[in-house]
Amino acid sequence: MPSAPRNRVAYYLIAPAVVVLAVTSLYPAIYSVVLSFYNWNWGVRFDFIGLGNYIDLFTSVEFWQVLYQTFLFAIVATTLELALGLGLAVVVDRLDFGASVIRTLLLTPLMVSGIIVALMSKIVLDPMLGIVNYLLGLIGLPPSPFFGTTGTAMATVIMVDAWWQTAFVFIIVLAGLQSLPQEPIEAARVDGANSLQTFFRVKLPMLRPVLYTILIFRTIDTLKVFDIIFGTTGGGPQIATEVMQTMAYRKAFSFLQMSEAMTVMVIFSVIVLAISLIYMRLDDRLAED
Amino acid sequence: MVITRRDQNERLLAYLISLAAILITLFPIVWLLGIALKSQRDAFAIPPKLVFEPIADHFLFLLDKPGFVEAFQNSVYVTALGVAIAIVIAIVAAYGIHRFKFRGKKLFGVWLLLAYMLPEFLYIIPMYALYQRIGLYDTQIGLAFVYQVHSLPFAVWLIRSFFREVPGELDDASRIDGCNHFGSLRHVYIPMAAPGIAATAILTAIWIWNELTIALSLTFGEAQTITVAVASFRGYTSINWGAMAAASIVAIVPMLMFAVFAQKYIVKGLTLGSLKG
Repeated sequence: MPSAPRNRVAYYLIAPAVVVLAVTSLYPAIYSVVLSFYNWNWGVRFDFIGLGNYIDLFTSVEFWQVLYQTFLFAIVATTLELALGLGLAVVVDRLDFGASVIRTLLLTPLMVSGIIVALMSKIVLDPMLGIVNYLLGLIGLPPSPFFGTTGTAMATVIMVDAWWQTAFVFIIVLAGLQSLPQEPIEAARVDGANSLQTFFRVKLPMLRPVLYTILIFRTIDTLKVFDIIFGTTGGGPQIATEVMQTMAYRKAFSFLQMSEAMTVMVIFSVIVLAISLIYMRLDDRLAED
Repeated sequence: MVITRRDQNERLLAYLISLAAILITLFPIVWLLGIALKSQRDAFAIPPKLVFEPIADHFLFLLDKPGFVEAFQNSVYVTALGVAIAIVIAIVAAYGIHRFKFRGKKLFGVWLLLAYMLPEFLYIIPMYALYQRIGLYDTQIGLAFVYQVHSLPFAVWLIRSFFREVPGELDDASRIDGCNHFGSLRHVYIPMAAPGIAATAILTAIWIWNELTIALSLTFGEAQTITVAVASFRGYTSINWGAMAAASIVAIVPMLMFAVFAQKYIVKGLTLGSLKG
């Protein structure tokens, strides 16, 4: 890196970005915080109610259930995607012939919009007419209601998210594996380590920073899930798959409870903010100067 | 290196697992394409029909469906516009961060990250209210602008990582040759980081094209994007699978072409950000 002088020019250079982000992020964030203390439902009534919205939410059973479900979805989906993506990367890393074609094919889900993934899964997972239940029948397994019952819907949306986003973990871990220095790996082999030992003792520790970055992105991304749930269950049956973002959407655009929707988002943002800041403290690379 | 029998077995297993993963990955998409080409009766047949007479009816239906072709066009405009705004502003900002020390630099970095990470609906509802008031609701430019909350931090971050790979000597040399900052940005950084900038543009385009949450809330009839048009089939999925599948295929195809022709860039962009931070 060239010598980095202190210079007023820098402010001119970042000014356009600052202006755009001020309008698109700072303004709406402040607006949401302010409005969360009012009682505004699109109408002319605009009453200051202090912590009223917060008290309403914190004392509602529904809010806590939705918060719990948001975390359940995020933790299980992230864990599943990390495990599957890591495993798949290790496997593809061993291939020589056809590896780049295989990589391209495995990358496909990342090109597909979440709403399409959702609609596609509704078709293949339809309880009556879906191909998956038919295939399960062929190998002697009972059909599943998938999105249809409160007991199976959450597991199903998690599975769909894993189909969609495992490729993200896979491609980054694969690139990480392929850029590892070869000497320690060769040394371990010479010392008689088998490939499992080499993986767990040598490669995995070296991959830690990469896995860490993926963990942050998948955690935040799954906490914010919307498309997959909106397009499949819409938060149902009842509220079995409702998460923070679908709740805010429903409150704002179905029930026109704008202040309540903003309160949900302010609380949720504080949670996401806290998680991001904790991660950032643990990993300086994300916000280095 | 000696290739042992165990190595060979492991390799065989690796191919089998990869094959299974490819099947699971591609099967739903191929099945969706099948549904898009099947008549209603064939689509609902049990056992499922593997051999059927393909029909184009569902795609023709989309051509006649009011707003669908317009939604595709809107997505093209919004994507092009959103990418252009993000890339131009991000190049300049990334150069500023890369080349200079300044007060508030760390704060700016944290702000970028948080803007990117906070949930969409925190921004959407106030932007909805603002846009209703100033007439940007349901416009292509309005939508492309709101997308910057996500695309701009992403582009700044990524382009900055690519600028970091530009050898400092080249920059110094250009300064000695009498280039000012815009000169070295134009003659050194942008050409040297061009593949990286292309990767950033492609990933930004994919994100905008596929985005639903913001488009759903900030557009209605005029500026509706392809994802919103596809989502509108959600309500009567059990009735019209064919049209829904056909609409999905139409929305997927441009991105799959990206995957085939620009895979090198996509992988470069996805991995550089994460590997080098």
